[in-house]
Amino acid sequence: MAKQNSSPNYTRREMIKMSAAALGLATFSRVRPAFAEDVISQAKIVSSGEMVNPAKYKKNGTFRIGFSNGFSGNTWRTEMLYAAKKEASQHKDLADFIIVDGQGDITKQVNDIENLVSQNVDAILCIPNSGSAVAPVLRDATKQGILTLPFNLPVDGEAWTAYTGTDPQKKGFQLGQWLRGALGDSGKIVALGGLPGNSYTAAAWKGAQKAMEGGKIQILAFRDAYWEEDRAKVVMADLIAAYPEIDGVWCDGSQVAAGAMKALIDAKRPLVPVTGDDYNGLLKLYDQQKANYPKFQIGLLSEPTWESVVALRTAIKLFHGEEVPKRQTIEPQLITSENYKNYLHSDLPDGVFVDTNLSNDELKSLFRS
Amino acid sequence: MKRIGAVWCAVLLLYLASGLISPGMFQISQVINILQVAAFLGVIATGQTLALLVGGIDLSVAGVVTMANIVSTSVMAGDNRAVLSGIAICLVLAAGVGLINGLMVTVIRVTPLVATLGMNSILFGLALVYTRGAPHGGISPNFAVFGQGHLMGLPVSTLCWLVIALIIAWVSRRTVFGRQLYAVGANPLAARLIGIPVRKILISAYVLSSVMAVLGGLLLTSYIGSPSLGIGDQFLLTSIAATVVGGTALTGGMGSILGTIGGTVFITELNSFTNIIRVSTGTQFVLQGAVIALSVVLYRLLGLTQKQQLS
Repeated sequence: MAKQNSSPNYTRREMIKMSAAALGLATFSRVRPAFAEDVISQAKIVSSGEMVNPAKYKKNGTFRIGFSNGFSGNTWRTEMLYAAKKEASQHKDLADFIIVDGQGDITKQVNDIENLVSQNVDAILCIPNSGSAVAPVLRDATKQGILTLPFNLPVDGEAWTAYTGTDPQKKGFQLGQWLRGALGDSGKIVALGGLPGNSYTAAAWKGAQKAMEGGKIQILAFRDAYWEEDRAKVVMADLIAAYPEIDGVWCDGSQVAAGAMKALIDAKRPLVPVTGDDYNGLLKLYDQQKANYPKFQIGLLSEPTWESVVALRTAIKLFHGEEVPKRQTIEPQLITSENYKNYLHSDLPDGVFVDTNLSNDELKSLFRS
Repeated sequence: MKRIGAVWCAVLLLYLASGLISPGMFQISQVINILQVAAFLGVIATGQTLALLVGGIDLSVAGVVTMANIVSTSVMAGDNRAVLSGIAICLVLAAGVGLINGLMVTVIRVTPLVATLGMNSILFGLALVYTRGAPHGGISPNFAVFGQGHLMGLPVSTLCWLVIALIIAWVSRRTVFGRQLYAVGANPLAARLIGIPVRKILISAYVLSSVMAVLGGLLLTSYIGSPSLGIGDQFLLTSIAATVVGGTALTGGMGSILGTIGGTVFITELNSFTNIIRVSTGTQFVLQGAVIALSVVLYRLLGLTQKQQLS
């Protein structure tokens, strides 16, 4: 088991500036200035103590990388893919960057990865639809000497080369702690999650419940809202009818948080403290409504769309013969009422996830706004 | 008529049972809330009923709802002057989709299930191509009245739904076209022999189904205000569930729009009730599935009783 949190914590900007040894981003000379300048996030990345030996992966010539994306079709995935393609285009020794889409299908993704193996790629990046389903095929690829780099969502076991992502349980805990603080350790809350049975929501909610243990926070209900604004608004409207007092809303995503707040507005109820992630729609809603509702506060933890860039750079570092950490855990900082303006994009659509390495112009071009 | 009565009895029974378990269901505000939310599914299920009545099925409604959401927010882009053009473009696209569905089924003779499921996939793909995965825009402020406004205490979306559903109910029951829909669904060969233009009727049913799906999608878009690529997914099966629970037979030729209104209220009420009571998500799914299956079994029993009375 990889030892976690064994290296000191730095902000990501600090890590980049300090040549990012613990980050695994090589020497300062290898870090592109554009990346450091574009990213507004102050997220930290904590590296595990266990390192991956690059000896057997080092390549002198060009190499080919495949990316099995579990599905596409939401704006987080779109930004993540754009960031990955942009990064790939900047490495001349990356001869081929093949992206395959699992279309949300567990079996198709396993097949996709098998196809990448048969195409003799040198590395496979992967956001799994199911952490258990892709584990055997990634293990087989690793045995064949292919670099396997799952990111964003974890893969069961350790039979892969290196992992990059946030810790959902820890994020849920921190969001729970923030909400508890915002409510003065007392009040009634409802919680809205993502897809039923999804491991991310399950872990985040587990963390949140732990954070609220022992206090005077009463959890009225937990409901899945499919990470969709409309579904969240409908579910929240039901909960509003059932519970005359709702003092706070815990969400693991801000589309859901925005839907919940819109339901409160429709029901002519005051907006309350709410948690979520870095979805621009909630930041815009907060900016528009904060003056009308004194108790309205936000506590958000981002899920950076640049995770794909870190994963890609990790693969390239290994091909260049550099050591990388087995696990890189992203620990984003809180976006709150105090600092939200640093992240808000009033001129961009709601769907933008603001913790990105893409420039404003790139985002405008991507979202055609 | 027995089937229509049965679904409304079921609506009432579920309401009483859920209100006794969770008194929040008895509040007027919750009744209005259920009716507001039911409007989106209700309009879509009205179209689905027509597709089922002619012996077909329309699985492209999910893609059509997403198309309505993406196209309308993109065209309107927050501008009040673009409301009419946004609605008109969506309606024309819907008619086109319905026409292709109808031609696939009648001319190329592809099974309705396969043809419309394929269309659903194509529409989702086109939405991805059009937006490049990054949808933009938003509704015009004036357009919000359809999904968020109230008239005489009732949600405008509910009123829109009821007006649309009652017009279609009248058309299906009181016009020659309506009678032909039932005749084609009950026995297409016999319908052809007595001179009914079967192809035209089938194509019309699919066009109307797509148009209803777009209208439902526009109401939903007005309710939420922003674009989302996954917005239509939930309606693929719920539109069929609402229609079947409302007494329309999957085999065609039997059912009614009034029954579908009841089926829609029932499904929305059930979702709302399971949202309110303190059960896990898993239990929610089991409850919803069991209640829907039970209602279909009851219809079968009702149908058998009717046959026994006739014989």
